[in-house]
Amino acid sequence: MKKLIFLLSVILLFSCKKEKKVTYHINDVNIEQNAANKDHLKSTTEFISIAYSDIFGTVISSAKLGELTETYKSFGDKILIEEMVIKNFLNELSIQIPSIDRTSESTINTFVNDTYKKLFNRTPDEYELWFVTDMIQKDNDLNSELIYFSLMTANEYRYY
Amino acid sequence: MERRKFIKNLGLGAAATIGVPYLLPSGRLFAATGSRKANHVVFCLFAGGVRNLEAVHKIDGNLMPYMLKGNENVSSDIISGINFVPPNTGVTLQEQGTLYKEFRMKYGPTGHYGGHATALTGVYTGDNLNINSNPQYPTIFELYRKHNSPTMSAKNAWWVSNALGPYTHLNFSSSIGYGADYGANYIQPASIISQEGYENLGNSKVYSSNEESKISSLKGFCDAHFTQQFSGIANSITNTEDDKKEMENFINQAFIDASNGMFNNPWNLNAGIYNNDMTTVNFAEKIIEEFKPELLVVNMQDLDIGHSDFTQYVNNLQKADYALSHLWNTIQNTQGMANDTILIAVPEHGRNEFGNGLYDAYGREAVDHTNDDMSREIFSLILGPSGVVVQDQVFSQEKGESIDIVPTIANILGFDNDIPTGILQGNVLTDSFY
Repeated sequence: MKKLIFLLSVILLFSCKKEKKVTYHINDVNIEQNAANKDHLKSTTEFISIAYSDIFGTVISSAKLGELTETYKSFGDKILIEEMVIKNFLNELSIQIPSIDRTSESTINTFVNDTYKKLFNRTPDEYELWFVTDMIQKDNDLNSELIYFSLMTANEYRYY
Repeated sequence: MERRKFIKNLGLGAAATIGVPYLLPSGRLFAATGSRKANHVVFCLFAGGVRNLEAVHKIDGNLMPYMLKGNENVSSDIISGINFVPPNTGVTLQEQGTLYKEFRMKYGPTGHYGGHATALTGVYTGDNLNINSNPQYPTIFELYRKHNSPTMSAKNAWWVSNALGPYTHLNFSSSIGYGADYGANYIQPASIISQEGYENLGNSKVYSSNEESKISSLKGFCDAHFTQQFSGIANSITNTEDDKKEMENFINQAFIDASNGMFNNPWNLNAGIYNNDMTTVNFAEKIIEEFKPELLVVNMQDLDIGHSDFTQYVNNLQKADYALSHLWNTIQNTQGMANDTILIAVPEHGRNEFGNGLYDAYGREAVDHTNDDMSREIFSLILGPSGVVVQDQVFSQEKGESIDIVPTIANILGFDNDIPTGILQGNVLTDSFY
């Protein structure tokens, strides 16, 4: 009998242990477009209006969009016409392109990250970040306008 | 040399001869199998709907004195409504080639896009034609670029149109195995060389070669990261980087010329006489002078005012006649094109026999084009060097049709036998050539 009472006491002691509360936290993750997932070619109006917004920081007027669409249609080599349209945008006084803060590698990284997010709608991968930052560090004449033009005439910019 | 070694070397030499494609002096990798009649073809779609009655039948007098022989007076009731171009004092175009007075667009709707598509594909269109899409069958540009000289750059083929709309689709088809990769460089001068065109393109940032090198490096890096998904630019032909640069310079020069007033009166006529057909042809001439293309197609369209104003239609007919003659003279004055170019002029379709009830200020009734027999009656003129094209020859009986133009161009440029059987329905207009 004593043995039975002892055994029940032991079971009671260990089986009613209070469960420990565990809270699982989920870190915030930025969901951004990966280059590998871009398979939609921008339409003419999408390309023009997005390029305008990216350079001027404002929405293109419908009249301007109509004019540019007509100009765009009037030439068969769309790549050439896109380059010419962007060059024309970049020659306007009212462009809103941030300049590069060359204070440190970190500030250049910030510019590269921001530029990729703005133009490619994604963050650069480690290699891209290093490569572009390195280009900027090595070349004081490589300004933000040249970088914008390069990225905006790259194939990825034509897709979303 | 040992016999075995000699045979071995001979074998390698023979293998090399067989294995390495024949590289032509012009830089072409492959040659078309046929011989060429000329190295350049300019095809002018004398379009907008031209009725044979007013054109080659001269019912209102000779309204095409640059093309047609004869001094028939223009009808007195409409004469004051015509802003005449200078009179022709030289040799007519018909004397410099072969004129088919009774050419036909035999089938398909006699609409502008259908007529253009037929003339540029060599295949009659059906009633279900979609004017907002590329034609179903390969265009002459695609046939030329695919079967003639596959490595030939796009700047050798140009499509210059009077208007946008459906005509933008005619530089390439939706046909499998063809498409944008083989299309022509398309341009609509009226949109490019305009105030809006200048504002949108003419104030470009100019980069130094050093800056272009930086751009090229960074762009190349970006493109290398985006190779798997990239499937080209929809509805775009592609020029090489060098050709693209050349074209950009050409367009920028056109803006400079335009701002200097060089497009205001390029042919030294009364300034008010120019219509869009003449402006379009003038720009085609600039392309001819700059690029000396092997194949250029230009269309006119101002004759379409015949739907609402008959006298203006007649007015534009004599302007189109003048423009065609000017185009031919430019070709003959362009080194590299002179005496080595065949010019073909054909309306896309005619106009109806009966009017539509709309009368102009001179009491003349306008005419539409809605598939009646007369709207299928057109003419064709083929001009070329005297040893190649039969001179001063006229066919007054029915001969030839719209679908014959593409095979004829292919034959002139020596690649008609390279086009797969079954694509084309027409025949080479052999009567035009020696």
